[in-house]
This record gives sequence, structure tokens and C-alpha cells, in this order.
Amino acid sequence: MSFPCSRTGWGLIVLAAICPIAPVLARPNPRYAQAPSSPQQLTFDRDIAPIVFHSCASCHRPGEAAPFPLLNYSDVKRHARQIADVTRSRAMPPWLPDPQELKFADELRLTDAEINRIATWVEQGAVEGNPADLPPAPKFVEGWRLGQPDLILTASKPLSLPPQGTDTYWNFIFPVPIQETRWVKAVEIRPGDKRYVHHANILVDREGSSRKRETEPGAGFGGMEIRIESQVFDPDSHLLFWKPGTIPYEEPDGMALRLDKGTDLILNTHLQPSGKPEVIQPSIGLYFTPHVATKFPMLLQLENDAKLDIPAGEKNFVVTDDFTLPIDVDLMAIYPHAHYLGKDILAFATLPDGAKKTLIHIPQWNLNWQAVYRYTEPVRLTKGTTVSLRYVYDNSEDNPLNPNHPPARVKGGNRSSDEMCHLWLQVLPVNFDVARGDPRMQLQEALARHNVEKNPGDFEAHYNLAAMLQAKGKLEAAVAEYETAVRLRPDDAAANNGLGAALLADGQPRPATAVLRAAIEARPDYAEAHYNFGIALTQMGDMENAAEQFRAVLKLQPNDANAEANLGAALAEMQRYPEAKLHFERALEINPNQPDAKENLEALRKVMSAQ
Amino acid sequence: MSAKFLSRLASLALVLTVSSGIARAQQGVVDLDGRVVSPLEASSGKVVVLVFLRRDCPVSGRYAPAIQEISKRYSDSAQFFLVYPDKSETPQAIRKSASEYGYHLPVLRDPEHALVKLSHVQITPEVAVFDRNHRLVYDGRIDDWYIDIGRARPAPTTHELEDAIHAAQLGETVARNEIRGVGCYISDVE
Repeated sequence: MSFPCSRTGWGLIVLAAICPIAPVLARPNPRYAQAPSSPQQLTFDRDIAPIVFHSCASCHRPGEAAPFPLLNYSDVKRHARQIADVTRSRAMPPWLPDPQELKFADELRLTDAEINRIATWVEQGAVEGNPADLPPAPKFVEGWRLGQPDLILTASKPLSLPPQGTDTYWNFIFPVPIQETRWVKAVEIRPGDKRYVHHANILVDREGSSRKRETEPGAGFGGMEIRIESQVFDPDSHLLFWKPGTIPYEEPDGMALRLDKGTDLILNTHLQPSGKPEVIQPSIGLYFTPHVATKFPMLLQLENDAKLDIPAGEKNFVVTDDFTLPIDVDLMAIYPHAHYLGKDILAFATLPDGAKKTLIHIPQWNLNWQAVYRYTEPVRLTKGTTVSLRYVYDNSEDNPLNPNHPPARVKGGNRSSDEMCHLWLQVLPVNFDVARGDPRMQLQEALARHNVEKNPGDFEAHYNLAAMLQAKGKLEAAVAEYETAVRLRPDDAAANNGLGAALLADGQPRPATAVLRAAIEARPDYAEAHYNFGIALTQMGDMENAAEQFRAVLKLQPNDANAEANLGAALAEMQRYPEAKLHFERALEINPNQPDAKENLEALRKVMSAQ
Repeated sequence: MSAKFLSRLASLALVLTVSSGIARAQQGVVDLDGRVVSPLEASSGKVVVLVFLRRDCPVSGRYAPAIQEISKRYSDSAQFFLVYPDKSETPQAIRKSASEYGYHLPVLRDPEHALVKLSHVQITPEVAVFDRNHRLVYDGRIDDWYIDIGRARPAPTTHELEDAIHAAQLGETVARNEIRGVGCYISDVE
């Protein structure tokens, strides 16, 4: 009798780059825009209040991100010249992209006429005017913008932010206390004291992989860019982002975010010291919907960090990436990302007929005001459209944000003093042929192939392509890509494990054992590698050692129903029936639907009663 | 690293202006208990540094650690005063704010802007440095940390305040009036 063993583990690294900007013009000369030739007396109540109420007050009010309120004449008068300066330089309101044909939601850009009106009003003495002209005061929702959330998660430990020093990047881990899968239609991020949080980003960690980076549970961990490992094809789908002024919104119908039992949300924050000690304790509000997702967007990442090797003093270092879409998609949102050397950020699409569309252009990149930009209408990009990024970097002394003084050679990397070249696109596959499988897999595979061609020496590109091929069942091709990845990084535990898993799935347990051994050597507490090694030994008939490997998994993950079921199967093969029975029962205790344990337990009962 | 001292000639006119201001008492300058204070007289032969701050100015706040470090470094030779020129700020609110930022420096209110005028400052945070003879040797930004509102270097690359304290000790003048600070206008609270 043979007892089937289940599940081969395999991995997919998803690199999640997250970090922080401000529009930046040289400090303006104290010269105001031209007043109209026969200057009419402008007043706050009639001419300025409408601008302030609409474009400033949502952040410039108590409890929000801005450092002082702008809710009435006296508030505005106290900062009048400053307001004239920063609106003219377009430092405020913070909005980086140039105007373009494709419109963004919640655009915070003042018109030239509005900017001139403010300048003229200040020049004329910033008078109050007639209260009868005053528009109604803006109404704001206090507390949670979308009402009481269905679930509120609060960071278990607050972070103490020192009064000075460079900007801090900190990650808070929020375990989601749900017992079953829930669908999230909206997320509101409350980053703690908003005045000191420049931006925050949520990453969905379905495997608990970030917890390993904490020194103790709840402590969180530092770092600007984080990577989340995932064991199955489950691509990130939503850009969950907060910056000052972000208004939470409900996802379009059918596009809810799935959260499973055991999922962690990682809040990646960019914090800026204020001059005095501050305490930051963020919280996240989740709004559930009973409607399961029917549309599955995914995040596509264009990047070219491998090309980032910027000589000291170089003023115009250009990096590009061009990816051609294998299917039709709707582009929902875009999120460009570079660090402090980034200067001019451009993304555009070249449609199959050759027409070009600017997707976003930020002529004065500023990491401190980085943001996710959502389009007011989805942008249809048909199959064969090439999406391109073109970023220009300034590593000269003329770039005041240069982290090195004097300038030094800078390469791609995760630290804020390294540089990055990333562009995230949230796309929704449309017009796809269901018979060809999950369209997101087609996208991911095309992207992985593109990355391998772009950078043949890029370990992650080969690894991700291998994982994708494996997910699609193209085992021979997957093995070849994993082999390349292992050649590039012989000691990488995940690559060796992936290769082992692919070989196993391809029916080659003997070569699998060698690489799985290497994976375990590289990472002794790597449960998936122990598991796969156990499977390989089972297939080779070495039940004794297989059982040992499954026991190793259970030591690391005591509630692993699959490991229990396979341990039972190995014991049963050795005719150690009573022991085997205990483990099948334990597997079913953990997961009443574990199919192998169920089947094997029945088979075992027959064998035992026949004896 | 120290920036080059700029020409002494350029500030000749300034020196004359300031000299005429020395003799006058500064109208309305009081400490947080309402006592009239004359910071130049109270400095007992030290260089005097006036640091102009607004409580509602975030750039003023972010400079607090740097201001305290520099004041400690030169405590033997320079007497620092924090000056709040906003007449609508109460002594209680200023005291609370200064304590939150951990300041241990004497605090003055300048509701009539007598010290503002004497110092020629326009922005918070800016500083004015007077030598032992009460001659204004520098007014302007502390350093070049901020480039613009919302945009700061990782660290300053010039150090005008410290250069000015050195110059004041030697009786020299550093004219840097063309480099104003980045922050909040004092004239907005006149």
C-alpha cells in the first residue's frame, strides 16, 4: 500500500520597495507675481478663503499633518507671506506631477490664477474684508473618515522618535486577529501623530516572514525597503498608502482585498524628527465587505536597479526600463519610487499604434512627498503596449538632497543612501481568455522573462521566473531557471529549496536531496526545506530519515497539518501503525479537511482491523 | 568645516546703523516673568547670540537640538537668548514649548520687535550675533540645512552661526545678509 504525500513547497520572492519626496524649486526670489494693471482690493473673505478652505484646510487643522491650522483669517494672516512664497514655488500644496491628459484623483494643484491671487492679496496688505463674503467653513469628519471601522489594529508598542538625527524608516507589524478569510473594501491608515510621519505604506505578509526580523514580538524593525517572501502565486494587488492629505476610499466593486487567518499587515513608515522627543503609535482601520473579490488586480513592477551605478558628480544619469504588455489591462494607479538623487521621473506608454501617453511626469522629484497616484478613470492599455520608465538622477553637488557631501559613487540598494529605480503599476487584466489560465500569471511570467533578458546576472530575476514557471507546471524550464539562480548564489537557501521542490515535482527525488541538503545547511530552521527533504526521502523509500525531517518541520511549526500527515504516512510505510494513527489524528485535529490524513486514516483502520 | 568669512567692507554701513542702536534700551523686551531685560547689557563681556523663534514654526522646532548643541559648545564665550517676537504668544505657552524642546537657555519676548529691528532678522529661525562691544557682526540663517520649506539636506554643509561666533570673538564682521533663513516670516506676526 502506498500513502500519498502532499504539497511540495516552493517559493516566490516578491520584492516590495517602499520608501519616500517634495516639489522643489530653488528658494524663490521675494518678488510676487504681477498684480493686475488696475488692482482691485482683494480680501480674505471673498478671494482667499475659498482657496484656503478647498486646498489647505484639510491638512492644516488640528490633529492633521500640517504644523499649524489655516481655518480662518487670523490663522492665514499669521503665515501670509510664507503662504505666498510656498504656493508660488509650488512647495504647497504638496503635488509633484506636472499637469497631463490622464487625470489623477484628489489632485492638490493650485491654478496659476489662484497663486497670483494669493500673492496680490499679500502685496495689498492681506486684508480681511467683509465677513458676509465668507464661504461656509469647510466641514470635516472627525476621527475615522469612513466611520467606525469593522476592525481597528493598533501597534502593540509605540516607537520613541529621538528629537534629532536623520529621517527614520520603521516597520510596525500588525497581526490581523481574524479566524476566517475576510474581504476588505477600505483601509484607513492613522499613522499616529501625523506631523512626524511623512508617509506610510501597508504590505500584506501572508507568510509571517517579517516577524523573523523582530528582536521580540511587537518590537517592529527598521529599514526603508522590505522584502516579503511568498510561498504561492499570490501577487500583491493593492497599493495601500498614506501621506499627509490622503483621503481613504472604497475599492471599486469586486476589487476587495483578501485577508486570511494568520496574515500580518506591515506598516512601513517614514518618520521625521521634530526637534523634541515624539512617540509614534500608528493604527489601521479595516472595513469589511461580505462580497468576495471578483476582479483581481495585481502590482506590476518596472525597475532597473542593476543599472544604478552613478559616478560621483554625474548630473544627468539616465535609467530606463521598457516592458511590453502580453495582455490587455486597465491601469488603476501608479507609484514611482526613487531616493534622494532622483531628479526627473517619467513614465509613459507607447500604444500598439505608436501613440504615446504620459502616465506620470514629476520634473522635480522629492522623496519626502512620494505618493501613490490613482487615475480618475482606469487607463486602458491594450496588449502590445510598451510601458516605459525614464528616470534621471543627479549625483552632483548641485543636488542639495545628495546624501553624500562631497558626492560619492552611488549604487542601487535598500538603504536610503543607496539609490532606487522602481515604478509600480496597479493593473487589472481585462478581455482575457479564461481558458489560458490566470491572466496575472501571464503578466508575471512575461515580466519575469523581461527581467532575465534585461539583467542575465540578476539572481532575483531568475528566481522569480523559476517560481512562475513552476507555478504554471512548466517544470523542466523551472528547473533550468532555478539552476541558474543557484549558480549565481550557491548558498541561497530559497533558491536551493526551490530547485529541490521543482526537481521533486518533476519526479527526480535523488538530485533533489543534494540541493535540499544545501538549503537546510544555509538555513537550518527552514521548515519548507525540511519538508521537501522529507518528501524526497519518502519517494526514495528512506522512511526512517523522512520521518526525522517531518519531525524537524513540526519542531519549527507545531501546527503543520501536512507535516503531521506525511509523518504518519512515513510511519505507516514502516508499519508502525499505532504511531502513524496518532499523527493522522493530530493532522485532522489541526485541519479536519487534510485530505491525505483522512484517506490514510481510513486505509490504516482497515489494515489494522484486518490484522 | 568652516565657511569663508566674507568681506568686512560690505558691512560697514550696517555697523554704523547698529552702533546707533546700542545706546537705546530695547523697548518692551521682557523675560517670561515680565521683567525688563537688556540682553546686550546682561551678557557680561560675552558674545551675544539672539535666536529668533516662533512657536508655530516647524523649522524653528527642528532646529532646537542644533541650537542647544551650539550654545553648549560656546557656553564659555557666547551668551545665547531665545527670542519670541510674536506678541500673541503668552509666557505660559512659550515656557511650555521651550521645556518640551528641552531648552535650558534664557527666554525673551519681543512683542514690540525692538530686538527684531536691532538685529535685522526677518525669518524664524534666524540668529543675530553681537560682539563684546555690542556690534552686530552677523544676522541670518544658522546654517544651510534647509533649502526651502519642506526640503532639507541630510546635514548642513555650511555653519554661518558658528563662523559668526568665531568672527565676533576676533572682532570681525561677517556679512551674510543675502542668505536669509528658511522658515516663517516674522513680519507675518507684526
